This record gives sequence, structure tokens and C-alpha cells, in this order.
Amino acid sequence: MIRAMAGAKLAAKPFKWIPLPPGLWRAAASFLFAAIVWEITARYIVGNPLFLSSLSDIAARTVTLWHDGDLQTNIWVSFVEFAWGYGSAAVVGILAGIVLAEWRTLRQFSDPLISMLYATPIIALGPLFILWLGIGVISKIAIIFLTAVFPIIINTVAGLTTTDRTLIEVARSLGATPKQIYTKVRLPSSLPFIIAGLRLSVARALVGVVIAELFGARAGLGFMIVNSAQSFDTAAVFVGVLILAVAGVVSVELLKLLEAKLAPWRGNDQEG
Amino acid sequence: MKPVKLSTRGLGKSFNKHGRELTALRDLTIDVRDGEFVGIVGASGCGKTTFLRLIDGLVQPTSGHVEIDGRTVSKPGPEIAFVFQNDGLLPWRTVQRNTSFGPELQRREKPAYLRIAHDTLRLVGLGGFDDHYPHELSGGMRQRVNIARALTVGADVLLMDEPFAALDSQTREIMQGELMRICRETRKTVLFVTHQIDEAVYLSDRVLIFTARPGRLKEEVIVDLPRPRELSVKRTPEFVRYTDRIWRAIEEEVRESIGLEVQSLARVRH
Repeated sequence: MIRAMAGAKLAAKPFKWIPLPPGLWRAAASFLFAAIVWEITARYIVGNPLFLSSLSDIAARTVTLWHDGDLQTNIWVSFVEFAWGYGSAAVVGILAGIVLAEWRTLRQFSDPLISMLYATPIIALGPLFILWLGIGVISKIAIIFLTAVFPIIINTVAGLTTTDRTLIEVARSLGATPKQIYTKVRLPSSLPFIIAGLRLSVARALVGVVIAELFGARAGLGFMIVNSAQSFDTAAVFVGVLILAVAGVVSVELLKLLEAKLAPWRGNDQEG
Repeated sequence: MKPVKLSTRGLGKSFNKHGRELTALRDLTIDVRDGEFVGIVGASGCGKTTFLRLIDGLVQPTSGHVEIDGRTVSKPGPEIAFVFQNDGLLPWRTVQRNTSFGPELQRREKPAYLRIAHDTLRLVGLGGFDDHYPHELSGGMRQRVNIARALTVGADVLLMDEPFAALDSQTREIMQGELMRICRETRKTVLFVTHQIDEAVYLSDRVLIFTARPGRLKEEVIVDLPRPRELSVKRTPEFVRYTDRIWRAIEEEVRESIGLEVQSLARVRH
């Protein structure tokens, strides 16, 4: 149905011979516009590649970095750190949320702590983590885990404790056991909250990757950014930043797809 | 005369609200016969909804008890189905899976309950909507699913709590006619709470009028209009006489309950 509607909208657009949804055209247009402004600003207004690299310079630098093999290594190292840190935050966050949602006393006890840790800029403790866990990937994973885990806990608890009372009442009146109410009503109704928590913490985890590597690392995109900045290789700094930006957009979009699949009824009231 | 299907004996319910004892219902003793359609009206806050919740076993009475076919009801079971005011459909389930929710909870065979749901949806006029999601349906269609879900449990008794209150008046009238048709075809015993007097008269064999808080039975009116009833029956003098009579009985209760609200507001102010 949605596809049919998009098709109908598309027919009214001038680009109807290319079968892309209109949203994608607008996104492409806005990226193109930003790219042109960037190129002109860097080339003719700033003029000094030390301050701002033009997009064409950045593209050229990407190719040379790729040829050296450094770029792949750095991407891989950062990816591994992100995957472990974010993955463990997702698993631990959801499980902790489930436990806290059930256990009222523990929740009231830990609520202030979780709120405080959520608001604490964990990354400011980066140097300490290097001191405790060394310069390798473990310290990075720990920092990423701690920046990402709290939104997931908080959202899971919120999802499980704010189930629509009518839905629970309906299940009870149909003779549901407490276990059935949990698995067939409360858990599925909390799914959109949990996914929202996962989405919120993706951005935090990506920032965590970079900052964790800034404080001391042997490889990774953050390491590449800080190293390039220290050797005045501005184009390489932008290569790292743009790769992280793309990674952020892609992971958020993947989670949106997951949400659309698991919670299709939420599609109407969310940003498209 | 048909046998008694459902009866309440001295049913009462008190709540403890901010340290004050609040009696919602007091000493309700009624009998409902098999296949009877009983409307319940009364001023708002007279405990009509509490009454249905007690019968379903969702809350426990402070005094008295409920019997179905002579057996005491203590918790929600498959003998009684509840149709809620808010449709309470699970948004992540299709119309069919919502409808089959009751039999699924009772751990019946999946192919069997899916077929029951499919057939029941046709009965309530939603054939072909099995795979839609609730958010794709209008308010009236969602209420049809709500009713279908209650029907699949296989209960003889339906408790309906203002199921059409949120619908616009045209949809409501159509749904009233549909409900009568469904009840005729399925031979259910129905308790139907409403605040609309004409809805109660149109649908019911008998209308119970509750007093303002604490809710007690003030009066009952037997509606002796022939069935099946067309919509035009609402414009006949007999129909108007029934609604007049019920309105007069309910009027002083409504005035009293408004008075009560004014008093309690005044108490809050001071």
C-alpha cells in the first residue's frame, strides 16, 4: 500500500522516468548542494588547504590512503571496537532493563545512579581507562560500552513499565497467565522503545570510538584523525570524519529499517 | 421462560482512596436469563464499569458473589468475554491475530484458532481484512474487531462497556444494528453498559437503572418492542415513551451526582 502511494506521488514528479522515491531525490539534491558550497568555499573563499580541504582533495587523499593500506586497517580496527562495545552495550542494556523493569526495589535504588552515569561525560574519563586497561582495544571497548549502555537500559525500562493498561486488561480478561501477559503483551509493546534506545546510542557509541582513540591508540579512525591533524594533513582528517559520518547515517538507517519491520504501526507518527 | 444464565448476589465493592472508604457498588442482586440483552444506564460514576469488571472477575468483590450457570466466578474465564470501551487491539498484530488472541492464550491449535478468527471476522462484517493492521482501520472497524475478539472465546456471556462511545453517531447506529444481528445469530447473553438512553432502549430486552454513588439498582424497565428492530423504531411513540421513562428515573440521579461533584469540588477548594 505504501509502495503504491509512493508510486502515485512519483508519477506527479518531473523525474518520473527514474524509479526512486521522492525523498531520496530531495536527499540527493541537498547533498549535491552542500558539496558544491563546500568545494567553492574551500577552493575560492578559504583558499588554504591547511584550513579547509576541498572535496576533490579529500577524494584524492582517500584513494592514496587506500593504496597505502592504512585506511582499511584503521576502519577495521575502529569497526571491531565499535562492534564489541556497542554489541555488548545492546545485550547488557536490554537484559539489565528487563531485570530492572521487573524488580521495583532495585529499580528505585539504581535509578539515580543510572541517571547520573547517563549524564556523566564518560569520555572525559578516557585517559583513566587507558591507564586501567591499556592502550589496546579493551580500553576502547569499555568506553564505547559505557557511552552506549545507559540510553538502552533507560528505554528498555520505560518500554516495559509503561505498557498500555487496557492491553493488559484485555489479555487478563481473555484468561492470560502472568507469563503470557509478559511475552505476548508487555515484551512486544516495549520493542519500539528498545529500538529507539538502540538508535539513540549508535551516535553516542560512534563518538565514543573517536574520543577513545584520541587519548592513545595504535590504530583506528580516531587515531588516524588525531595523527593527521598533528602532521597538518587536513584532507586525511576529513577522510576519517566523513567515513564516521557515513557509518552513523548507515547504522541509524539500518535501525530504522529494523523498526519498520518490527513495529510497522509506529511508521505513521515518526519522522520519515 | 428461559433459565437464568448469570446472577449476582448481594454484590458490593468498596475502594480505599486516600485513606477514605469509597463505596462504588452496594448490594446488587440481579438475574439475567439465557439469551437476554440487558442494558445498564446510570449517572456517570455510578459504578457501571466496576459492575462489569466484578462480573468478569477482573476485580474481586468486597461482598457478595457472581454465578454463571450456578457456578461462582472468581477469575476471568472462557465463560465470559469482555468488550472494552477502548478497542484495546494489539497494534503489532494483524486483525486476524488480534481476533484469535483469546483461543491462542487458551493454547488451542493454531490452524483451528486462525480459522475461527477468519469466520468470526466475516460474521462481524470484516471479511477480507484478516491481514490488515489495526492502525489501517477506522474506529468503527476497530470496534468490530474488538467484538470479534470477544466472540472467538466461545463465551455465552458478553460484557460490553460503552463499546460505541467513541464512534460518530452514524457509525454508532450502524454498529447498533450490527450488534443486534450478531447477537441474534450467536444467541449470546449480553450486559451492555451505556450512557445513551436511546441506545439502551433500542438494543435491550430490559434496562437496569443504577443510582448515583454508591451504585445500586434503582429501577428496571422491560422493553417490550418486537424484534428484529429496524432503525425506524426509534421514531415510534412507544420507543419515546421508554426513553422518557428512563430519563425521568435517571434525571434525579444525574442531578444528585452533579451535586456531589460540585460538593466535592467545593471541598477541594477549601
